Order: sequence, then C-alpha cells, then structure tokens
Amino acid sequence: MDSKAVCSPADACSFFAKEGRRDFLLKRQLTKPRSPKLSSPRRAVSFALCLGLLLSACSTRQNSTVNDASFHQITDEAGRNIKVPATVTRFISLAPSITEIVFAIGAGEGLVGRTTFCNYPPEAAKVEAVGDTLKPSIERIIALRPQVVFVSTASQLEAFTTELDAHNIAVYVTDSHDLDGVFRSIERISDLLGRRPQADELLKQLRGRVAAVEDKVKPQPPVRVFYQVSDEPLYTIGRDAFITDLLKRVGGISVTADVPGAWPKYSAESALAARPDAIILPTGGSMGDANSNVAAPLKRSPAVANHRVYKVNEDHLSRPGPRSVDGLEELARALHPEVFSK
Amino acid sequence: MLEARDITVRYGPRPAVSGVSLTLAPHQVTAIIGPNGAGKSTMLRTLNGGLEPAAGELLLDGERLSSYSRRAIARRVAVVAQEADLRFPVTVFEFVLGGRYAWASTAGWGWETSRDVEITREVLRETQLELLSSRLMNELSGGERQRAVLARALATEAGVLLLDEPTANLDLAHQAAILALVRSRCNTRGAAALVVTHDINLAAEFSNQVLLMKDGRTVAFGRPEEVLTPEILKEVFAVRVLVDAHPVTGVPRITPVHEALR
Amino acid sequence: MTRAKTTETTANVGRVLRLDSSRVTFAKTLVVCGVLLLTLLLIVALMSLFGSEKLPARAALCALISFGKASCGLTADQDAILFDIRLPRILLGAAVGGSLAVAGASYQSLLRNPLAEPYLLGISNGAAVGTMIALVFMGAQEWSRPLLAFSGALAATFVVYRLAQGRTGATPERLILAGVIVTTFLSSAIVFVTTLMDATRIRSFTFWLLGDLSGSTNKLLWLALFIAVAGTFVLAAHARSLNLLMLGERDAFDLGVEVSRVRLVVFIVASLLVGSSVASSGSVGYVGLVVPHLVRLSLGSDNRITVPAAAICGAIFVVVADTIARTVIAPRELPVGAITALIGAPLFVYLLRRR
Repeated sequence: MDSKAVCSPADACSFFAKEGRRDFLLKRQLTKPRSPKLSSPRRAVSFALCLGLLLSACSTRQNSTVNDASFHQITDEAGRNIKVPATVTRFISLAPSITEIVFAIGAGEGLVGRTTFCNYPPEAAKVEAVGDTLKPSIERIIALRPQVVFVSTASQLEAFTTELDAHNIAVYVTDSHDLDGVFRSIERISDLLGRRPQADELLKQLRGRVAAVEDKVKPQPPVRVFYQVSDEPLYTIGRDAFITDLLKRVGGISVTADVPGAWPKYSAESALAARPDAIILPTGGSMGDANSNVAAPLKRSPAVANHRVYKVNEDHLSRPGPRSVDGLEELARALHPEVFSK
Repeated sequence: MLEARDITVRYGPRPAVSGVSLTLAPHQVTAIIGPNGAGKSTMLRTLNGGLEPAAGELLLDGERLSSYSRRAIARRVAVVAQEADLRFPVTVFEFVLGGRYAWASTAGWGWETSRDVEITREVLRETQLELLSSRLMNELSGGERQRAVLARALATEAGVLLLDEPTANLDLAHQAAILALVRSRCNTRGAAALVVTHDINLAAEFSNQVLLMKDGRTVAFGRPEEVLTPEILKEVFAVRVLVDAHPVTGVPRITPVHEALR
Repeated sequence: MTRAKTTETTANVGRVLRLDSSRVTFAKTLVVCGVLLLTLLLIVALMSLFGSEKLPARAALCALISFGKASCGLTADQDAILFDIRLPRILLGAAVGGSLAVAGASYQSLLRNPLAEPYLLGISNGAAVGTMIALVFMGAQEWSRPLLAFSGALAATFVVYRLAQGRTGATPERLILAGVIVTTFLSSAIVFVTTLMDATRIRSFTFWLLGDLSGSTNKLLWLALFIAVAGTFVLAAHARSLNLLMLGERDAFDLGVEVSRVRLVVFIVASLLVGSSVASSGSVGYVGLVVPHLVRLSLGSDNRITVPAAAICGAIFVVVADTIARTVIAPRELPVGAITALIGAPLFVYLLRRR
C-alpha cells in the first residue's frame, strides 16, 4: 500500500473494534456477565470513532481533488461524458493499440501502466504491466494513481469502469470502426495528453501513405476478399469491423461486408458459396502459427486455385493504431501485387 | 443344500462372524436370532456369495460356492431383503419377472421366454398379487411390496431362500402371510430357508432349527425347544424371559419379563 | 395446450405404446425402433434442405436419394455445400446426440438417479480438459483429440467414483455430489487455461465449449459415428442387467448380475461416447438429461427399449437443434449447445414438476 496515504478508514475501524472487543472480552472473563447496557458505551465509542474517520477521509479526498488544477468535461469515443484534468501526466493504457498510439505521439513517459499484450514498441516493456486486456488488476491500477485510464471497446470493461469512477480515475474509451476513426482517436488522445503537434505530424505522414495507396489502387478493379479470423471455428469480419474499411481502401471488398456485427462466426456453406478471389490469413505476431491454414470450406475457392492466399501480420491489423497503416500497405501489396512490385 | 463350515467374516480388524457353521437342508426352515450387531445379516450375506469369508468353507450342493458363476448361484440361492429402492416406475409384473434374469441364456441381454412369463404368473398367484400385477410398485402398500419381493425370489425357482428380516415393518396379517408362504415352499417344493429375524416367537413358530448368535459367534444351535430356554436367552439378551408352550400350536412361547415400566 | 391436457396426452401416448401388457417384448422393441429410425432418416433428409445458403429443394432431395451420383441439376458449389458441408455436419450431430443420450440413459440406470448426466457428473468437462490439452500441446496430430478426450472422461469418471465411495458404497446421492465437485473444479481449470490464450483464441474456444458442430474433418466424423453405433450396441447388450441395477446394486447382485463387471463396462463405454462427442464438438448440454427422460416417460423404464430409443431420439434432437443454430441468424451461427439449453432447460423444469 502507498505509505503516503492516510491510514484508511477500514484499518482504523478494525483497530478500534479489536481494541474494544478485546477489552470487552477480557472484562467478561474476569467478572460475572454484565448486563448488556453497561458494555454498550465502549461499542458506541468505537462506532463513533469509525464514523468520524470515514467522514473525514471522504472529505479530505474531496478537498485534494478540488485544490488540484482544473478539470474539464469531455466526451470519449463511446459517447460517455467524463471529467479529465487539464494536464495529464500519469495514465494507463489497457489496449495494445492505445499503447502504440501513445508512444507514436511521443507521450511514453507519462505511461505508468500497460497490459501484458502491449508488446510494441520495445520501449513499452519498461512500463509496469497491470494484467491482460480482459481482466486487469484493479488494485494495481489504483495503486499506480493514474489520472486517466485508456480502454478500448474490444475489452468488456463496463463493471470495471464504475469501480474506477469511484476512485475518481477517468476512463476514456476508444472506439474506432474505420481508419478515419483511428486517426480521430489519435487526435483526441493527443489532445488529452498535450501532444497535438506531434500527432499532427504523425497523421500527416500516415494520411500521406494512405493516399498513396488509394491512388495506386483506384484504377484497379476491386478484389473479392475473404478475411479469415480463425479457421476452426470459422470466424470472419463483419460490417462493424474496421478491417472491412481497410479492405475497401486497398481496392478489395470483403465478401462478408454486410454481415451484422464485427467478428461473426460464419457459416461454412456461405463461405463456400462466396467464392472469394483472395483470402487473407492474419497470423504470426502474437498469434504464432495459429490460423495459418485456409478453412476447409474455402479449399476449393478461386483464391486457393489461383494461389491468392496471403498471410498478413495479425498485430498490424488487430490494433487500431498507427501500425494499421502498415497493415493497410501489406493488404494492398497482397491484393494488387502488380501495382506495388518494386 | 447349502452348507457353511466354520465361517469367519471380517469387516476390518474385528471379525463380524467367527467360526459359525450351518447347514440348510431341503424342507427345513432355519431361523437366526440374536441381538443387534450379532452378525446375523453378515452371515446371511456371506451365504449367497455377497461377502467373502476370511476363513471357512461354503458348499452349495456339494461344490464350493466360489466355483459357481454369479448366475449359477442366483439360480440356486435367492435373497429376500428389505424393500427395494424404487426410483423408477416399474410394474409389479415387470418387477417379479426380473427374478428370471438368472435363467437367461445370455448374460445381460435376451428376452423373457414364455416359461418365464408362466412362472411369474404362477408366483403372483401364489403370493396373491395377481390383481395388482399391472400396478406400479410404488403404488403398493408396504406389505404388498414385501410380498412382491418374496414373489421375485420365488420366481427364481431357487432351492435355497435367504430372508433378511422379512417381517420387519409388517402388520400381523402380512407377517403371517409371508412366513406361511416360505413354509409352504419348503414343504411342497423341498426348498431350504434361512430367516433372520428379531421376532423370537415367529422363529419358534415357523422354523425347524434355530441358530442363536451373539458377537459373531454361535451361542446355541438346535431345535427351538433346545435353544429357546430362559437361561440361554437371559445370557444372550440380558432380559429375563418366561418360556411356556403356545396354547394352540405347542411351540415354545417366549414372554419377556420387564421391570415395572409404568 | 394446457398443462393438464399435455400431461394427459403424454400419459395416453405412453399407455398406448406400452400396449397395456406392461411388458417390453422383442416385437415391440423392433417396431418402436424401426419407426424411430425411419423418423431419423426423414429428419436427416429434411434438415439437409435448410442452411444459410438456399438450395433448390427438389434437386437437393433428388441428389440425396441418388446418394450423390446424379447431379440432378445442382451446381458444383451446391453439390459441395450439400455433401461436403451440410450432410457431414448433420451426421455428426446425429452421432453426438445419440452418443450423449445413450451415455445419459446408462448413467441414469446405473446410478439410479434420473438426474445423472455426463455434464453433471463432470465427465463432459473431463473430456473437454483432455481435448484442450491435445489442442494446445499436440495440435498437429488429429488423433490426439479423441484419445485425450476419452482419457479425460475416463479419468473424471474414476475420480468421481472414488470420491463417492463411502462406508455403504457409492450411493447415487454421493455420486451426484462428487460429480458436481469434479465438474466445478474442472470448469475452473478450463477457465484458467483460457486466461492463457489470446483474445481471438478465447472467442473461438468459448464458442467450442458451448457445443459447435461446424468444425470436423471426415476422419473424426467416421470415428464419432462408429463409436455412437458400437457404444449403443454394447450398452443395449447390457440392458437387462441395467434393468436390475436400476432397482439397487445389492438386489441386482443377488439376482445374478455381475455388478462390478457391468459397472466397469458402462463407465468405459459411456466415457468413450462422451469423449468422442466432446472431442468433435465441445460440450453439448442437456441431451443426456432430457432425451432419456422423455423416452422413459413414453416407453417405460425397460432399458432394452429405452437405450436404443434414446440413441435415436438424441440424434433427432441434436440434428434439429443444430439446424436451428445454423439458420436462425444466417449467415452467422450460434453454438448448438445454446439451442439445446434453450429447449432443454424449460423442458427439464416441466419434467421435474411432473414427478
């Protein structure tokens, strides 16, 4: 526990309760049992002390936040109204994509916590890990005293955000459905962290690369692509996945672009009937060699027949951040090799 | 015919039965009586192969019991125990028909033959359960259920019947009925029967010989008149009894004499 | 239909089927099983007409009847959908449903408890843990999955049985209790392993855990079918012993049943059945509980008829449930275990209230 913090009300209560209880028990052993009325003053005193400590603890906390620098209200990407300090110097990222964004805009020193999956860039390894993306350690997070915790909608953290709210730690949720959304995320995070100029520079480069790709593929006919998230069970991308947008930008069209949801479990029959001309297998990176084979129903598709099965680094595509553009370029090279051959 | 020679059965370090010998001959009803924990039921369970004796020999029709297969034993020795555990709906007919299992040509499969059905019907007549044969077992009263259990044992056509407290929880009428059935089986078909019971008077009435056990040992063995004497009974049960002759049947009648209880 | 009427109708159907002679005969068994088998074949044919892709019904039926030899006007893709994707999946569903129902029926008879079921007894979870170990450490070898699933199921069975041994032997109550303990322990083991996986793996694994018939190679399908049929035959061959065991182990012993041998056979065969089902399709719940119950309600408790009938009815149940799972939000899919639970749980509550 943080030694600078005031003795917590809980500790105080238990201390007094123990003292009161011990005396009470001792007295009972030495004398005959008293009537209940005589022992209650001791209990009442410890109760009053506890209450007093609790109230004072609450009020001191209140005081400390009011005395700090001013706050402002903003809306995060999930539409939530949150209160964040004007200067953010300590924050935690609970998604690999956000960690990558933070370092890309040069805000790495303020990062005091990350998840075990945040493995890029290499500097991130020096930051303390607070658990994985699904069940991070709330105690660790609170102990690090961040001002803001960045969370991605990919993790289910609803219950957890209410707990952090109770400790006056702001939770900022990122939510991007397409590449523009990713760029907006970068802008807004940079605003929060006071790195807007660095972000603008980064985005200029990224946008430039994207435009270059889009220009090259514009004259090409779009390629019908099946993006295989996993082979068994068969998962693919749907309408709300931001990879669907990426594919559109690189001159491809996902055959599952109309399927509701982001990561639907897909029917084998429909995969077969879709007859994609190209298949993308996101694999490697943190995934190892999982998903490196085409799923059975697609084995007789035109994509396989024409050897148009491409493995892409999964880390680039599953993290909506600056490396998404790397992923976009990989996809473009895979789908339109004729335009990108060196 | 079932012979037990010097049987010792252990449940752990202490023997539950030690050195008990018994012969169950055709036409004979043998009763085992004794205090709780005397080893009566243990002895009964050993006689059909349910428990392995630590010492002693069991001979069924002259051959060692261990040389018979499970089904072969079941064809010759039948057990009537306390009420069956009836969690699934089964009719009386199906229940009694189950006794014909040991006569199936294949273990575990097979269908009942017409002979099986015939014998079941006959046994149901004998035990007066004919009218109840299509009712479910758990719709019957306690006495009727016990009759059905006996009927199932009779359906096995076994020559040796082992009955473990068959009259516990039964009213007077049913007690008499059950034992009369057993007696008639022994008389007419030459079966041998062993009845473990707490009811000394019933034992005296229906049995040819009585085995009195205490602490796993034989205290006395012989005809009811020889075994059911006040001295022996006082020694075993620590209760004073009066023994006289039943006014109608002439068999020993045992009346306990308690301290003034009122 | 009101509840009273439904009860009455079921009882009446039951009475008719029991033919009031209150005894199961060979002829009756043959008739009932014949009718059920025919129903299963019809259901298989019918359900193969449904899926996320529309197939012309007449052409599809024509192709089915000709066993795929005549094209009947189906395109190559449609033919592939029908014979390479749909039909194998339906057959796998039948194998899994039959296996689980028969295993459930046997456990219920052996343990004398109508609530005994592979999932409740921890055996499904044992098989799941075995499969997980195979997937994580021996992903390349396909045979490792059913083998380790079977070992896991068997291990769980023996652990449950040892745990349940008391002074009076393993009473049904102790067995259910031991089963619940083992199930919950293994469930936490499964959760622990999932925390070691990454997000995408977790998603697909969670889906599999709920029962997923979509992924299966042909080899696993044939294995599952073979085990389902062979297992049903072996357990049916012990049906008469099971009838007596249902009334108490001691009574069965006295009447000539070799209790320990039958128990061993049932445990091993049931573990095989559960293992092969879980290895190919995860834990499909409620089949082993609800189907034998319904079968017993209509046909009586004689295992010589309920064991084969449960196998066929279990197959029908899962085939229908899976058809719903793969068409209701097409082209997306639901895990079949979700549908069996949706149907099975209320059905089970209804059955409980009837007793």
